[in-house]
Amino acid sequence: MDKSTTNDSIAARPLQVLLLFSVFVIATCGLIYELIAGTLASYLLGDSVTQFSTIIGAYLFSMGIGSWLSKFIDGDLLKWFIRIEVLVGIIGGISSCLLFILFEYAVSFRIILYTLVGITGILVGLEIPLLMRILQGRLQFKELVSQVFTYDYIGALLASVIFPLVLVPYLGLIRTSIFFGLLNIGVALFVLYRFPETKRYRTTFTSGIVFFIMLLLGGFVFANRIMTYTETIAFQDKVIYSKSTQYQRIVLTRNNHELRLFLNGNLQFSSSDEYRYHEALIHPGMQALHNAKDILVLGGGDGLAARELLKYPSIRSVTLVDLDKGMTALFKENEILTELNKRSLLDPKVTVINTDAFSWIRDNRKEYDAIFIDFPDPSNYSVGKLYTNSFYAEVYRSLKQDGFAVVQSTSPYMARRSYWCINHTIESVGFLTIPYHAYVPSFGEWGYTLCSKNYTWKNTGQLPAGLRYMNKATMENMLYFSPDMADVPTEINKLNNQVLVHYFEEDWGPYTH
Amino acid sequence: MKKTGDHIHTNTGETIDRKKFLWYLLGVPAMVSGLGGLSCNRQKRITGKFVGNSSTIGHMLRDTSQIPAPSKEIKTQVLIVGGGIAGLSAKRWLRKNSKLDVLLIEMAEDVGGNSAYGENNVSAYPWGAHYLPIPSLHNIELIDFLHEHNIIIGFDTKGLPIYNEYYLCHDPEERLNINGHWQEGIIPQLGVPDEDKKQIKRFLTEMDVYRSALGSDGKDAFAIPLDNSTCDEKYRALDSTSFKQYLTENGYTSTYLLWYLEYCCKDDYGCNIAGTSAWAGIHYFAGRKGKAANADPSAILSWPEGNGFLVKQFKKEDNAGIMSSHLVYKLEKDEKQVTAYVYDAAKKESITIVAEKIIMATPQYVNKKILADVAPDRSVDTFDYAPWIIANITINGMPAQRGLALCWDNVVYDAASVGYVNANHQNITTNSKKVLTFYLPYTSDTPKTERNKLYAASYEQLQDKILEELNYAHPGIRQYIEHMDIRMWGHGMIAPVPGLIWGTQRHLAKNNIDNKIFFAHSDLSGISIFEEAFYQGIKAANEIMGT
Ligand SMILES: Cc1cc2nc3c(=O)[nH]c(=O)nc-3n(C[C@H](O)[C@H](O)[C@H](O)COP(=O)(O)OP(=O)(O)OC[C@H]3O[C@@H](n4cnc5c(N)ncnc54)[C@H](O)[C@@H]3O)c2cc1C
Repeated sequence: MDKSTTNDSIAARPLQVLLLFSVFVIATCGLIYELIAGTLASYLLGDSVTQFSTIIGAYLFSMGIGSWLSKFIDGDLLKWFIRIEVLVGIIGGISSCLLFILFEYAVSFRIILYTLVGITGILVGLEIPLLMRILQGRLQFKELVSQVFTYDYIGALLASVIFPLVLVPYLGLIRTSIFFGLLNIGVALFVLYRFPETKRYRTTFTSGIVFFIMLLLGGFVFANRIMTYTETIAFQDKVIYSKSTQYQRIVLTRNNHELRLFLNGNLQFSSSDEYRYHEALIHPGMQALHNAKDILVLGGGDGLAARELLKYPSIRSVTLVDLDKGMTALFKENEILTELNKRSLLDPKVTVINTDAFSWIRDNRKEYDAIFIDFPDPSNYSVGKLYTNSFYAEVYRSLKQDGFAVVQSTSPYMARRSYWCINHTIESVGFLTIPYHAYVPSFGEWGYTLCSKNYTWKNTGQLPAGLRYMNKATMENMLYFSPDMADVPTEINKLNNQVLVHYFEEDWGPYTH
Repeated sequence: MKKTGDHIHTNTGETIDRKKFLWYLLGVPAMVSGLGGLSCNRQKRITGKFVGNSSTIGHMLRDTSQIPAPSKEIKTQVLIVGGGIAGLSAKRWLRKNSKLDVLLIEMAEDVGGNSAYGENNVSAYPWGAHYLPIPSLHNIELIDFLHEHNIIIGFDTKGLPIYNEYYLCHDPEERLNINGHWQEGIIPQLGVPDEDKKQIKRFLTEMDVYRSALGSDGKDAFAIPLDNSTCDEKYRALDSTSFKQYLTENGYTSTYLLWYLEYCCKDDYGCNIAGTSAWAGIHYFAGRKGKAANADPSAILSWPEGNGFLVKQFKKEDNAGIMSSHLVYKLEKDEKQVTAYVYDAAKKESITIVAEKIIMATPQYVNKKILADVAPDRSVDTFDYAPWIIANITINGMPAQRGLALCWDNVVYDAASVGYVNANHQNITTNSKKVLTFYLPYTSDTPKTERNKLYAASYEQLQDKILEELNYAHPGIRQYIEHMDIRMWGHGMIAPVPGLIWGTQRHLAKNNIDNKIFFAHSDLSGISIFEEAFYQGIKAANEIMGT
């Protein structure tokens, strides 16, 4: 800009240039809000194509309404423009924050989403027509149109490029929207102070604007807290740790008396009663073995099964195969968690192998005294494979003649068919099975399957000292299945039918919907 | 965008200007989101290349004058030209049943032909054939082969084969993207009107009847190998009309049904329904009569490397006597022997191989050139071949989708391709990275025209075409793609055009020449499937041993 000149007609130019720069800012902000709404909607609701296209449609349509409404605005255009800028800034600015929080509460999240999109759209639609009318007297018409739209397009281009490349990865959605809200308000401030006509209301407006700026700045600083808060809502309790590994999202929550671990939103254990689950998984099998030396654990990356195993001095080695390195690393390093699993994964007897259990056992040539299988429930096809006859045939091959294997087999009460399907599948490869179950309050009635190559199992073995749930009487009780959990006919789960995944879906359907 | 432009008035004046603004305003974000899309597209280049040099070597047959004169001579009793399934099967049969000294020549770097495969650090994957339906119990030779290689692990008390469950296609097997949703199975169901469903049902029932139908001679109306089908004219006559005509005559009008049948013909024959004979079209449904102790009759066998797994089994049995990167470009024959002129693509020199007998396990369009001197009158004009492209696409994830999760076979309604196969599917290991094998036959025009289109395309053009198709069912998939290799099959599959299967040319082409030159290639069956290639190999080997 040429500052040395004092010529009148040229003196007006810096102002115009700055106004046109505002067009550029406004255009960028407008597009960013649209992109944020689309991204958030696909993030929260899934199905990105539908979300994006309906959001864009609704947004454009609202902009149309805004533009049309602009003709009803008369009088002090500058004042209107400033008001609208502030409104866009505040609504657009807090939009993503609002949507994140409301998603958990709202009965009809879509209504809120589209209302917000509609309001922002209308306001954004008002901006440019108003600005053009403000600029009308100051520029030649063809200049006006050409310049305004040039800046409009450039701003939009900038937005569309930096949004995916810079903003989302570095700022995140909440901060991005707040940042652009601040820019909108910045434009309002600029207009307020550069035009002499605004003098009358400058002070009143300034105080309002400063308030909003503070609000947005606060949101900007506390964006992370807000994010955690929203996830906390999804998990009831305070989220103390969350991490996405290559395979799953691990979330750890805590309240006054318990710690809970969620994998992909499914509860894995609660520190208040996991001892029941893990004692029931390990001890009925282990106590029946004398002098068991080499143990295999498949799954169980939390090290809690290993903790129970290490209570047997006869054990020489525990081989633990878990897919997710992120999971086993967490249970080796996090202090709260190593306290829970008694540092079992760091024990020199324990070898952790991070690989797919199926391919591992298929290649395994060693026989183990006992095998404990603690996989997540068969809720999808890739886990479903780990409950097939082909898998159990490999388990059979990897187990010593007088050894035992125990399989966590989901709930015989809530998922009765699934439970018995697992049992029948195990039997189909030649195992003799002893089904049993335990009551784990945070899960409900939980089922296991003890597998052997010959019926030698007895509950008369020596249990380690200090158990809180398991004793001889508990073991006896666990064998009894009330009629509402009793055996039902099922198909055998195979790689080429994956019936268990279907059973599981149907069984749990009533509890999850 | 163009439309928006058309609406802008060119008059001047206040009111019009407002309209103008409005239109512009509507246009801006729309255009920018377009630009945004573009900028994402440009985000990163997907690496990849054309794979498979065999067609370049093959093209040397067009002009053999560049090939150096032979510098060395080798002798063998039997020479097999072509290391596809047919050649490998012939070699195996001779080794098992004779003491003949056999040599096999393959022009590509490795044997396999249309059942070739590749491998990267994510998975093995097919470059062509990817599955084998469980065979009928009558196909004893094939059942034996599968049993020898632990694909059949035994037989139950009723004598039904027990298949190795690692190799039976795992569940979920197939899905179709239709009306924006992935449904289970490929026959359209979701959102399909009842009227269409009725037609589909009627069609399938009719095919069931054909499947169990017998001709007047007591033989299956439709069998695999298809030479075992009945001679009954009632059925054979179906070969002289097109499948399309047959469907029209029988009142099949449902667009969904016709789409499905078009898909089937494309998938198995690389042809559209107009270019497929009615006999072949029905054979797709009525030919397969598999039975198993532990699987449905419709079950199929598949492996990450597709039928490359079966190629490996042949090699495991016997890897000796295979010369790859060798192209046979000419044959000469006298009373006693046949001489093959062979170009060694690795050493860039030529040799001659003198054999008592020779099996041409090569397609007829190739034979036509090699045999130009020996049998100039051998006519094979009705043999035409469907062009294909295959892409193997390494992905590190997939955008969210609606409906059934990723299956082994994934088909998109109304797309040009026949979909993609998840090569990792038969891999029991959980891996977020995958290789998708994408199949695109060129069927909109005659094979020749389509072939020329294919040869004219650059890697980048084909990549764009494939991305466009993938993006339709998986918007945003591009960002998950790490790598894409593409292979062209100019002469992919024999096209079972009306009149080929039961016409005279195929019949004559099977005949040996002077008990010295024998023929074995799946195209002699008129349909291109593993079972036919396997059968043609055995047949030629038996002929040799019988003479
Ligand atoms: C894209 C595609 C997908 C397919 N999918 C399936 C499927 O899923 N299931 C199925 O059963 N079938 C499928 N097929 C059919 C497949 O063609 C057969 O299964 C089988 O592989 C054919 O074997 P072949 O030996 O008859 O022929 P080819 O595989 O054609 O073998 C001929 C061999 O001869 C070699 N050769 C040619 N000329 C010369 C020369 N001059 N000198 C030396 N060597 C030469 C070639 O390199 C080749 O290796 C598919 C085919 C294609 C193209």
